[in-house]
Amino acid sequence: MSTDVATAPTGPGPLRTPTRNSRETAIQGVFYGAIALFAALIVFGAIDTHGFLTMTNVRAILSSVAFVGMVAVGTALIMISGNLFSLAVGSTAAAAAMVFLALLPHGIVLAFVVTLLMGVVVGAIQGFLVGGIGANTIIVTIGAAGLIQGVALWASKGATILPPKGDTSFTWLNGHIFTFAVPIYILFGTVVVLDQYLRRSRFGRQLKLVGENIEAARAAGIRTAWVVIGAFCIAGFLFAFAGLELGAFNESGSLLIEGTQTYDAIAAAVVGGIAITGGRGSVWQALGGAILIAMISDILLLRGYSEGIQILVKGVVVFAVVVLARLNRMRAES
Amino acid sequence: MTENENANPKAEPGASAAAAGTTAPMLSVRGVSKTYGAVRALDDASLDLGTGEILGLCGHNGAGKSTLVKILTGQVRPDGGEIVMQGESVEFRTPLDSQAKGLAIVDQELALAPDLSVEENLFLGNFDLSLLRRPGAVRRRARDLLQRIGLRVDPRSPVSALSIGERQLIEIARLVGRDARVLILDEPTATLSENEIERVFAVVRELVREGRSTIFVSHRLDEVLDLCDRVTVLRDGRVVSTRSSADIGHRQELIKMMIGKELPPPQRSDAARVTAGAGAAISGLRVPPAVVDFSQDVKGGQIVGLTGQIGSGTSEVLRALAGLEPDARGEFTLDGKAVRLGSPAAALGAGVAFASNDRKGEGLFLEKSVEENLVATRLRALSRGGFIRGRELKATARRLVEFVKVDPRRIDDTVEHFSGGNQQKVFLGRCLDRPDVKLLLLDEPTRGVDVAGRAEIHQLIRQAALAGVAVLFASTELDEILDLSDHVVTMFGGRIVASLAREDTNAELISADMTMSHERGEVAS
Repeated sequence: MSTDVATAPTGPGPLRTPTRNSRETAIQGVFYGAIALFAALIVFGAIDTHGFLTMTNVRAILSSVAFVGMVAVGTALIMISGNLFSLAVGSTAAAAAMVFLALLPHGIVLAFVVTLLMGVVVGAIQGFLVGGIGANTIIVTIGAAGLIQGVALWASKGATILPPKGDTSFTWLNGHIFTFAVPIYILFGTVVVLDQYLRRSRFGRQLKLVGENIEAARAAGIRTAWVVIGAFCIAGFLFAFAGLELGAFNESGSLLIEGTQTYDAIAAAVVGGIAITGGRGSVWQALGGAILIAMISDILLLRGYSEGIQILVKGVVVFAVVVLARLNRMRAES
Repeated sequence: MTENENANPKAEPGASAAAAGTTAPMLSVRGVSKTYGAVRALDDASLDLGTGEILGLCGHNGAGKSTLVKILTGQVRPDGGEIVMQGESVEFRTPLDSQAKGLAIVDQELALAPDLSVEENLFLGNFDLSLLRRPGAVRRRARDLLQRIGLRVDPRSPVSALSIGERQLIEIARLVGRDARVLILDEPTATLSENEIERVFAVVRELVREGRSTIFVSHRLDEVLDLCDRVTVLRDGRVVSTRSSADIGHRQELIKMMIGKELPPPQRSDAARVTAGAGAAISGLRVPPAVVDFSQDVKGGQIVGLTGQIGSGTSEVLRALAGLEPDARGEFTLDGKAVRLGSPAAALGAGVAFASNDRKGEGLFLEKSVEENLVATRLRALSRGGFIRGRELKATARRLVEFVKVDPRRIDDTVEHFSGGNQQKVFLGRCLDRPDVKLLLLDEPTRGVDVAGRAEIHQLIRQAALAGVAVLFASTELDEILDLSDHVVTMFGGRIVASLAREDTNAELISADMTMSHERGEVAS
């Protein structure tokens, strides 16, 4: 197919096979592969795992997606901008939980605003280092993770932050509307709005151009530093939002909240089929990846496997998707 | 002996036979061809390299020199023809095959590891050394090699401490250590000072005396005539002539062989195009170390061609004006307004559009569609309040695709698999047909484009100039410079050596200016 395209005539003439390119074919392949896996899992889980297809279980899966999905979407933005991923996801979220709970005595509005602003500022600084002066993302975000953890430990003196006794101003975050938890609505709302924004805005276009080829974007007069900073700001906002929700959910905030969030966010974005090399992908794909991983974890949990096995299987899924994508790409190019 | 003599009746078979020795040649290339897409890079090329001979290989860019070198070094496989080494037909599938037969290349981009020692570099990629080598024996071998090329440096010192010329000698020594029988020197002197060139030449002459052979590829014609026994000239992928250096005699004669029959200047009916006063004024532009001093005006509607050999600084001039060289200094005004150097976004804002010579690395977004590529530089104009005006974007893309004559049905296809010509048209489409562009900078606008595509692209550039845009383009291809320019600027070593109206210059003059052999020592020191 690709040779047809290469030799197609310059002027008007008969077009041969529909000229979908290899990249798109690869992504579609992974997409359909993921859907097939999805379907197989649901069927397998429904038939074989007791209690999988109950409403309670669907709620449980979605509740865990509510947090992972948020950080996966943030990671997706960084990935699309061509800067791999952040290793400071968990640290930012944990710090956000602590800041939010610590500021609750001053009113929930202030707590919300300051927490999210912190996320944006932390993201902007990392974005400046990566996009403005060309530092390596991995090193910048590892450094940021260490700094955030250090400041959080120092400020909290190692104590777990608890909300003020009797304060119920934040409990609506844990409430339910039509049987689903509030954070689930927040997540889907975020994905819908962000997806539309990226599709329709100049920033969204520029993000994908910068992600695909930053040299070409710079030569085309795009202010690449600002685009990268923008991606990191939105990501920082989403990481902080997820942390805030987690703090409210746990009614306590400490660095322990971090857990495996950083890994889960990257895994979800990769499993969702977002190109790690940048330039391509949508926030929906990150959400899809997060849901897939949550379902796999849930099945393993219901079947009584240990946490070790759960982590192992997640790793296997990530590997499988990476290999599948590569194979598909090679097939399309041959 | 070969068809070469037929092509040029003036050749003296006697002279070449004497130089080539009486035995079978070391290396024979027989009827080798190579086609890239629609471009015939090498067409039935034949040459002989005698044992102990230095053969010069000359021709303008696109003549087929580099394709021939790539075939000999196993980087490219020919479509047809035969390569014979010492009477034995050989086939080079990979660079390793070529090395195993005793061919070795030194090119201008040195393949040394600067942080490793001289000694380690000398044996890089030398597979006959045992894994458990004894340091003493290695050091002796290194000293021996260094002595043979007459280089007095400590084998333990890092290569980064050596001058460029010394590094070149180290590279030659390494190939000698591999016992290469045929050395290919591809523009080895482009970055050397006169003293260094003399040293390299002395070593090459010494190696040839030992019975090795050398192919010397260079644009520096005086050097070619000085060093080589015979010279083979390529033009448009064909071997046009092989003559002894003594017979050629002078650089002017060699230039005549390279350019063949000269076409008259193209008829330009658009005499009214220059609108006085408007346009770009560049004064005292410096881009260390590539551009020393550059001043030139480009009036609205005028096409100025910038030419010079690789490393002359033409590319850096364009990049500096596009804001892509952070160290650039100098005065640059556009329609009387100063343009800040060092910011691509500021340059674009001032009305400067740039098309890089690196279409794939710094030009197109290969995995994006034609539409996305065409509008990439005008997203600001096509959006309001940060949001894209979708309908206008589509309309603009459709208009541009018609304008650059790419099949409109392919507007949603990614440009990755397009031909070079179509890719270039999409790339240029970005800079064309927009009222805010006052200066168009094009670096090698038709690199890798076939003849038909080239004509279409030239037409687009002329159209832009007719619309009043000032055009400054760089090309190393003489035909393109002669065909497209109203005014020709020739550069050498980061300076302008000639700035002449198209009517006042010709291929021979430009060639002589480009090679600047007579003033080399002054500039390169």
